[in-house]
Amino acid sequence: MKKLIIIFSVLSLLIFIRPVLGLGANNQVMETTTVSNTQVQTPDEESVLDGAFKGIKTFYNYTGFANATSGHIIMIIVGIIFIYLGIKYDYEPLLLIPIGIGVIIGNIPFVAGNQTGIYETGSVLNYLYFGVVKGVYPPLIFLGIGAMTDFSSLIANPKLMLLGGAAQIGVFATFLGALYLGFNLPEAGAIGIIGGADGPTAIFLSSKLANGINVLADGTTVKNLIGPIAIAAYSYMALVPVIQPPLMRLLISKEDRKIKMKPPRAVTQKEKMIFPVVALILTLFISPSALPLLGMLFFGNLLKESGRTERLAETARTKLIDIVTILLGVTVGASTQADIFITKDSMLIFGLGAISFVIATCGGLLFAKFMNLFLKDGNKINPLIGAAGVSAVPDSARVVHTEGLKSDPSNYLLMHAMAPNVSGVIGSAIAAGIILSFLG
Amino acid sequence: MIQILLNTDPISEGYVILITGLLIVFGALVILALFFNFGLPVMLYVYKIITKGKDKKISEIKVKGDTGFTGEISAVIGASVHMYLSEQHDHESAILTIKQVKKTYSPWSSKIYGIQNRL
Repeated sequence: MKKLIIIFSVLSLLIFIRPVLGLGANNQVMETTTVSNTQVQTPDEESVLDGAFKGIKTFYNYTGFANATSGHIIMIIVGIIFIYLGIKYDYEPLLLIPIGIGVIIGNIPFVAGNQTGIYETGSVLNYLYFGVVKGVYPPLIFLGIGAMTDFSSLIANPKLMLLGGAAQIGVFATFLGALYLGFNLPEAGAIGIIGGADGPTAIFLSSKLANGINVLADGTTVKNLIGPIAIAAYSYMALVPVIQPPLMRLLISKEDRKIKMKPPRAVTQKEKMIFPVVALILTLFISPSALPLLGMLFFGNLLKESGRTERLAETARTKLIDIVTILLGVTVGASTQADIFITKDSMLIFGLGAISFVIATCGGLLFAKFMNLFLKDGNKINPLIGAAGVSAVPDSARVVHTEGLKSDPSNYLLMHAMAPNVSGVIGSAIAAGIILSFLG
Repeated sequence: MIQILLNTDPISEGYVILITGLLIVFGALVILALFFNFGLPVMLYVYKIITKGKDKKISEIKVKGDTGFTGEISAVIGASVHMYLSEQHDHESAILTIKQVKKTYSPWSSKIYGIQNRL
């Protein structure tokens, strides 16, 4: 009660002070009213009140309450759901919480023209968004991922690399699906990469192909789909623990799920050092367009494995990647401004994204079963690890691990699943490079 | 490139990209896998021959003794070392003293320059 009275008195004070000081955006309007007042000879009191109400009205027109549309409200609720999912269910909280708060930031209704919004040139958010639009952040994230990743399980068992390739069928199937739904080639390419289950790669490719700037051969401009694609990629990545287990149970028989794999052999430090250099040269000679992504990935890995640059590796995998993740999450979230984000295209992209994750997972699982046909009894692989071929490091490997534990509590698949998982990262970056070289 | 894109409809172009793309991705990963399966051991062997004379004195740890030593065992050892180390506390003196803080002059907390000062 006390508070209410204080607020009310402060408000009324403000109202009465305002015309006296002659402040306000509508100074000119006020002058005209006073002029007319002198002509009509109305009492002074009323003109002051009149001006006050006008002032409040202008102020009200600048508030979010006046400018809010149903789209804003929906997106703010979506943002709150993201935050809730991140906190309550621990689905990739490092991504969902920055994105969630970013969605709320981006959907506060405002009056255009004051350099507030993320799409207005000159606004602070626009400068931060620059890193997304020009594809600056993704390679930095890849540097950190490289400095974090241990490729030794992949070096020990190189044939698992193929699983990472098999899951990329999701990318190309989605690409085709998007073409059938009427997207043009570059847009479809950018949408397809959602199936790579790799947020940075998706942002990188969409910033190059579907950025709203490129002009096609027939004179039309491509749509700006960075926001929807990034949100779809990241939200489905966060939902990997929901999407993958049912598919695993559907496609892999109980006996197959219990297959125990041989522990990977120990890998020497020399091999670990050779891997980034050789893989860098080989993969980039094949797909040079993936240079920013794979170059940084293997550079980060060499920093880690060289044994001489521990300080740089430490920075890359902790501070640097944290900083970039914060900026990337918030700006990607904020790019979902309702008037640009809520379109039919975004809904289609979300649908295609879900399908692409399903196809990618199925591709990995089925290819693992297919590989088992050629492998001898002692050497068989557990088909579950095929699902880790969609990148989503390290979440999908963790999902595989927990699914393996459910069928056989003594079967630890995490190390084995990391091999297709990291090769999935390489595979989707190569796929992005190929799509870019075809359509860029 | 543009010519090709103009003359063909997107769907057939899409199939071309689908097939070539998948082939290239697979090809790249197969080459990588082949290299690490066959190329790397050869490279390491060659390296060994080249440097044979130099580090002869450093005898490698016999592999025979390590046959039962799997990644799981090393993980257990690692975990136990980690748990042991993380339970350690550094010993503090347990004597609390209150040190007098000497306030030095700082323009940041100055009362000479207030908001009312017009310079």
